[in-house]
Amino acid sequence: MPMLYEFRYLAPKSVAELTATLREHASDGKILAGGTDLIPNIRNGLQKPGFVIDIKKYDGADRISYGADGLSMGPAVTINDLLRFKDARDRYPVLCSCAHELASHQIRNRATVAGNVVNASPCSDMAPALLCLDAQAVLRSGNGERVIPFSSFFTGVKKTVLQPGEFLERILVPAASAGVTGRYLKLKRIAGHDLGIVGVLMTKRDGEIRFGVSSAAPTPVLVDTVTTKDSPDEAAAKVLASVSPISDVRGTKEYREHMIGVYARRLLAEVR
Amino acid sequence: MKIKLTVNGLLYERECAEHRTLLRFLREDLGLTGTKEGCGMGECGACTVILNGHAVNSCMVLAAEIDGATIRTIEGEANGPSLSDIQLAFEKNNAVQCGFCTPGMVMSVKELLAENAKPSADEVKEAIEGNFCRCTGYTQIVEAVMDLTGRPEEKGELDHV
Ligand SMILES: Cc1cc2nc3c(=O)[nH]c(=O)nc-3n(C[C@H](O)[C@H](O)[C@H](O)COP(=O)(O)OP(=O)(O)OC[C@H]3O[C@@H](n4cnc5c(N)ncnc54)[C@H](O)[C@@H]3O)c2cc1C
Ligand code: FES
Ligand code: FES
Repeated sequence: MPMLYEFRYLAPKSVAELTATLREHASDGKILAGGTDLIPNIRNGLQKPGFVIDIKKYDGADRISYGADGLSMGPAVTINDLLRFKDARDRYPVLCSCAHELASHQIRNRATVAGNVVNASPCSDMAPALLCLDAQAVLRSGNGERVIPFSSFFTGVKKTVLQPGEFLERILVPAASAGVTGRYLKLKRIAGHDLGIVGVLMTKRDGEIRFGVSSAAPTPVLVDTVTTKDSPDEAAAKVLASVSPISDVRGTKEYREHMIGVYARRLLAEVR
Repeated sequence: MKIKLTVNGLLYERECAEHRTLLRFLREDLGLTGTKEGCGMGECGACTVILNGHAVNSCMVLAAEIDGATIRTIEGEANGPSLSDIQLAFEKNNAVQCGFCTPGMVMSVKELLAENAKPSADEVKEAIEGNFCRCTGYTQIVEAVMDLTGRPEEKGELDHV
């Protein structure tokens, strides 16, 4: 049984302390949120941080709120915190259906929404919803704050625009996206919890159709070229033109392409 | 660092390495070996405990990050020789075979029933979705919970698991 690799644990108690700690440990520190990606990665030797910096311990890190700006989630807000938040369930059903598909109940009790997007896995279940709902990432470092739409947040497999010393302080889902409806179809190897083979979300707002696709390209994909006038086949062709799935342990490229087409046609047929 | 934890109503204080998981802290530092390690990385649920009211995989939680927390483990279920209601229901419905998954299963069911006294079979299946059992299948486990909560008419197996 491999022993957990040794590291130091730091728990900054304010945003100022956190940014100072992140600056000091820009090369040998790793942020810890729910730990459901980080701890297994350390255990498997994929990551070897000297310092693990807990982002959950400053005041307000776990704040989730709804107001004129929309839904705001701090970096310690878990998937189940989101699902238990009534304003989120009532106003952002699409975000909640994707959250509900993520991993198992125990993991949803720990895994954060922020950790899911920073991890930037192609199979992230939260990314399709955040893309379709025009969500934004509020990033902070010692140099200040910048706001990046999720459509330009992901830069590659497990890569984002986050710079060393910077953290994701808040996720904002605009009020204008409240009430958007849709459905997320996630193909898995088993009925229980599993990473997706492919995931296809379709959202609809005032007649505008969007697709968010996971496990289909190096980054999660947003497709906004489909219209309600398209036939299901035309919609599937447009979605497939935007993705480039690969073969891996969970499925082949051909199977993924086939199922993305099946799901795109099925989802569009439901709203036509 | 010094860690203080309330486990099954008792306060423990121990010196603990900062990289130690809650699972190892429970098993090796406190000697509470009822909680099992299967995969050690979030897949199997054998290590499930209740942390401040919510079921979590203790293999992915650091003891350091939950200093001061309240934990329930399988050791807190029986009262001396008297099994808890959930344990009795598992026993009666043959929901235990080798027993390796059982401590985690019981903890997942315990959180569910604390929030939802009469879950549907689907809600039970969802609550134990992160707990793998390689012996009994899941039918007896779901039936044990339905039997306990008084809704035994709904049966069912987790499709394809
Ligand atoms: C068994 C299992 C099943 C899973 N199934 C799914 C699934 O179905 N769908 C899915 O999408 N994911 C799944 N995951 C992956 C994981 O649970 C999620 O990605 C989760 O949301 C990660 O959040 P976390 O808070 O645990 O992240 P952590 O592990 O704490 O962090 C993840 C990464 O992001 C960094 N980080 C975290 N927060 C911030 C921040 N605020 N600012 C900057 N950097 C930050 C960390 O340094 C780390 O590199 C699964 C994992 C396991 C172990
Ligand atoms: S040992 Fe923790 S989930 Fe398997
Ligand atoms: S009873 Fe053996 S694994 Fe469940």
